[in-house]
Amino acid sequence: MAAPALLQGIKILTLEQVHALPWGTAFLADMGAQVIRVESAGHLQDRKAGPFPSGKPGDEWWNEGGNLAYFGTRNKQSLCMDVTHPAGKEIFLKMVRQCDIVTDNFRPGTMRRYGFDHDSLAAINPRIITLSSTAFGHSGPWSKAGSRARTIDAMCGMSALTGYEGGPSLRASNNYMDHSTGNNVAYALLLALYRRNKTGKGMRIDLTMQETGVSCIGPAILETQHGITRPRLGCAHLWKAPHNVYACAGNDRWIAIAVASDSEWAALKQAMGNPAWAQDARFDKSESRWQHRHDLDNQLAAWTTTQDDKALMALLQKHGVCAGAVLTAADLVQDPHLRQRGFLQDYDREGTPTVGVRTYAGRPFSVPGVSMSIRHTAKMGEHNSAVLQQVAGLSPGEITALAEQNVIYTRPRAGEKAP
Amino acid sequence: MQADVSGILAGVKVLELTHAPSGAFCAKLLADQGADTVKVEPPGWGDPLRREPPFIGGEPHPERSTAFLALNTNKRGITLDVAQAAGRELFLKLAATADVMIESYPPGHLNDLKLGYEALKAANPKLILLSITYFGQSGPYAHFNGDDLIAQATGGFLYAVTGSTHKPPMGTALQQMEQTAGRNGVIAIMAALMQREQAGAGCHIDLSVQEAAIATPSGLLHPYSFTGRNPRRGSGDTNVMDGMHLPTREGEVTLTTAGTGGRPMEVWSEFIGEPRLLDPKFATRLSRQEHWEELRDLVAPKLKEWNNLDLMRETMARGLVIGLVQSPKQVLDSPHLAERGSFVELEHAEAGELKYPGPGFFFDGENPMQTVRAAPCLGEHNAEIYRCELGLSNDELSRLCAARVI
Repeated sequence: MAAPALLQGIKILTLEQVHALPWGTAFLADMGAQVIRVESAGHLQDRKAGPFPSGKPGDEWWNEGGNLAYFGTRNKQSLCMDVTHPAGKEIFLKMVRQCDIVTDNFRPGTMRRYGFDHDSLAAINPRIITLSSTAFGHSGPWSKAGSRARTIDAMCGMSALTGYEGGPSLRASNNYMDHSTGNNVAYALLLALYRRNKTGKGMRIDLTMQETGVSCIGPAILETQHGITRPRLGCAHLWKAPHNVYACAGNDRWIAIAVASDSEWAALKQAMGNPAWAQDARFDKSESRWQHRHDLDNQLAAWTTTQDDKALMALLQKHGVCAGAVLTAADLVQDPHLRQRGFLQDYDREGTPTVGVRTYAGRPFSVPGVSMSIRHTAKMGEHNSAVLQQVAGLSPGEITALAEQNVIYTRPRAGEKAP
Repeated sequence: MQADVSGILAGVKVLELTHAPSGAFCAKLLADQGADTVKVEPPGWGDPLRREPPFIGGEPHPERSTAFLALNTNKRGITLDVAQAAGRELFLKLAATADVMIESYPPGHLNDLKLGYEALKAANPKLILLSITYFGQSGPYAHFNGDDLIAQATGGFLYAVTGSTHKPPMGTALQQMEQTAGRNGVIAIMAALMQREQAGAGCHIDLSVQEAAIATPSGLLHPYSFTGRNPRRGSGDTNVMDGMHLPTREGEVTLTTAGTGGRPMEVWSEFIGEPRLLDPKFATRLSRQEHWEELRDLVAPKLKEWNNLDLMRETMARGLVIGLVQSPKQVLDSPHLAERGSFVELEHAEAGELKYPGPGFFFDGENPMQTVRAAPCLGEHNAEIYRCELGLSNDELSRLCAARVI
C-alpha cells in the first residue's frame, strides 16, 4: 500500500519514547511524512513494552510488540543510532540540515546537553520546526519534575473530577493524557507546517501534557472562578436521568442509557412495555426524575438485569432511546458495525511471522485520498542504511564502520535481557 | 498586534453548524488559532449547550453556561433557521466563501435540508466538510442516538479504562470522548487543508465519536488481539505506590516508585521519616499490593503533614515522581502555570472576565491562543455578517427576523 502523497518529502527526526509523542508523530507518518525514529540500543523499553503474541516475548521480542505497530514505529523508519557518541551526534546534526521537523520528549535540558536544542538546530537549518513534548514545559518552577501519564491525570485536575457518585477521586485513565497530548502534538505540528508553507519560517514548539490536560477540563476551570464545585457523579449526569450504566444478563455485562428529555423517557417506558413502577408521577418530569434518580436507577436496573445487553441496545435504539452496550475489547474486534465501516484493521506484520495478523483500531476519521492505515512497522534499525545513505549522505563503507564501532545497531546489545 | 505565531489560521473561514460538544470543541480549536469561525445557531434558544448547567451566577441563562462558554471561544455567532428555504439560501451564500464546515446532524439530515455534500460542493468545490456523529455516516449503527456516555460505553472506554474492579463500569468526567473526537477533527481538517493546497478540491470527512473513543486507550483492542485477554477496569486504586490517592494537608497526592533508583522503600522511608516501610513485607510490588492497607496506614499520616507545594518542591529536588491530585481551583492557582502564562483572560458581556486554559502548546515561547472574545452571545454578529458581509439591507434583515429565519 503506497503512502499518501500529502506529506511526501517532509522529513521528521524524532527522539521519542513511551507514548504521547510517538502517538503524535504516527499521524504524520500515516500521512506520508518520512518519520525517522532515532532509537537507542540502551533504552529499549518501548520495544519491551509488548503486548506480545500470547503474552510471551519471542526470540525476536524487540520486533514483536503490538504497540510498535499501533503507534511506536507505525509507518516510521527506525534508525538505531547512539546520538551520544561523537560520530552519532555529528550524523544527527548533518541530517538536521535535510530535515523539516525535530521532535523530542526528553526532560527539559537534555536536548541542550546533546547540542540539539532549538537554537543550535535553527543555526544550521533556519527552516527547522522543533517540538518538545514534556510533562510541565520548558519554563516554570516544575519544569524539571518527572511524570507518568497517571500523575499528569492528577496534576491537570482530571482525577479530582473523576470518581463514582459520592466516592473518592480516581484517575481517569492510565493513558488518556498520553493520547490527548499525542493528538495535540499532531495538531501543533500540522499548524507549524501549514504556517511554514506560507511564510517559510520554522518555529519552536513547547508542548506539555499538563496543559493539554487542563485544556480538557475547560468548563471546570471556568466554574471554579465562580465558586462552583463540580461533583463527582460516575456515569450519572448533572441534570439527565436516567443516565447511568445498568447491569444486564450475564457476567459483568452492562448497558449505558442516557435519557435527555421527557419524550425520550416516554419512549423508554414504551420499550419496557409500560411497567407499573414507571407510571410513578415522580418520574414524569425531567427535574423530578433527576431528584429521584437513585430510585429510578434501581427500578430500571431490575428490568435490564433480565436483558441481553446487545439485544437491549438494538431494542432501545429502535424506540429512539439513547443507549449503548458496554462493549469489551472482545466485542469490539468482531463488532458488525465497525467491520462494515472498515474501521478495524487486520494487519499482517510481514517479516515478523511470529506476530502475523492482528486486529488494530483504525483512525476515527477518513479524509478521502489520505489513507491512515498501518502499512509498515519498522524493525529495530531496519532503516539504518537507507537513512544514513539518503539523508546523511554516508557511503556503504562508512555505514559498515559505524556498525563495527557500535554506533548503530540492528539488534539489542549482547547481554540485553528479554522483557 | 500579535506576532505571526499566533493566528496561524487567520484567513481560514470556518462555518460551524453543530449541536453537540464534539463539533463545538473542534471549531473552538480552530478559532483559538485564528480561524474566522462563525457559529450558526437556530433562532430562539440556540445551541443546546447554552442550556447546560452549571451557570455562572447560579440561575439558568443562555449566555452563562460554563460548557457553552468553554467550548465556543473566539467564534462569532449568528442565528439562522436552515430548515426554511430563505435560511438555506443564506447558508449556501456563507458556505460559498467558507473553507471548512463542521456539522453534526444525524447522517442524511443535511441531504434532507438540501444542504448535503453535493449541494455544498456545487456552491463551493473547495469546501472541506467535516461530519461528526456518534457512529459515523455508514454502518448498522449509523442512525443510533448517542452522547458522550454512549460513546464511552460502545467505545470500550467504560468497561476497561477507569473505575474499580468490583464496581460497575465508570467513565471520565467532562465529556472527554466528545473532546477526543474534536481533537481528531482538527487533525483531519489540517490534513484536508494541506491536501487542498496540492489538489485544489475540498472533501467530505466522516468522523465517528465511537471510533475516537476506541482509538484512544492503547490498552484495549490490539492487546486483546495479541494476548486473548480482555482488559478489565480498575488496576491502581488499591496500590499505595502506584495509583492510590492519599490526603495531604490541603489536597491529595498519588505516589510512584519512579526516580528511586530501584530502592523505592528505602528512599520513601527516608523521605517521609517512617522506618517501618523497610519491613520486608513491603519489599516487592506484589507484596506491597498484598499489604496495601498496612502500608497506607503508615504512609498516609506522614503525607498528611505536607502541603501540596512543599511536597512537590521537595520530591522534585530529590528526583522523585509524584502527582498532586489538584482540584480545578488548585490548577487555576498553580504558580507553575501562572509563571508559564498558560491561562488567557477573555472578556464576556454577560459572564464577565474569565481565565481560560490555552491550547497546551507555546509557539516560539508565546501562548498562541487568540483573545478575541470569550464566546458569542446568541445572534451577536447577525448585523455584522448579514448586513456587512452578505450585503442584506435593513429591510431584508427585519423581514427575515420577523419570519424567524434569523
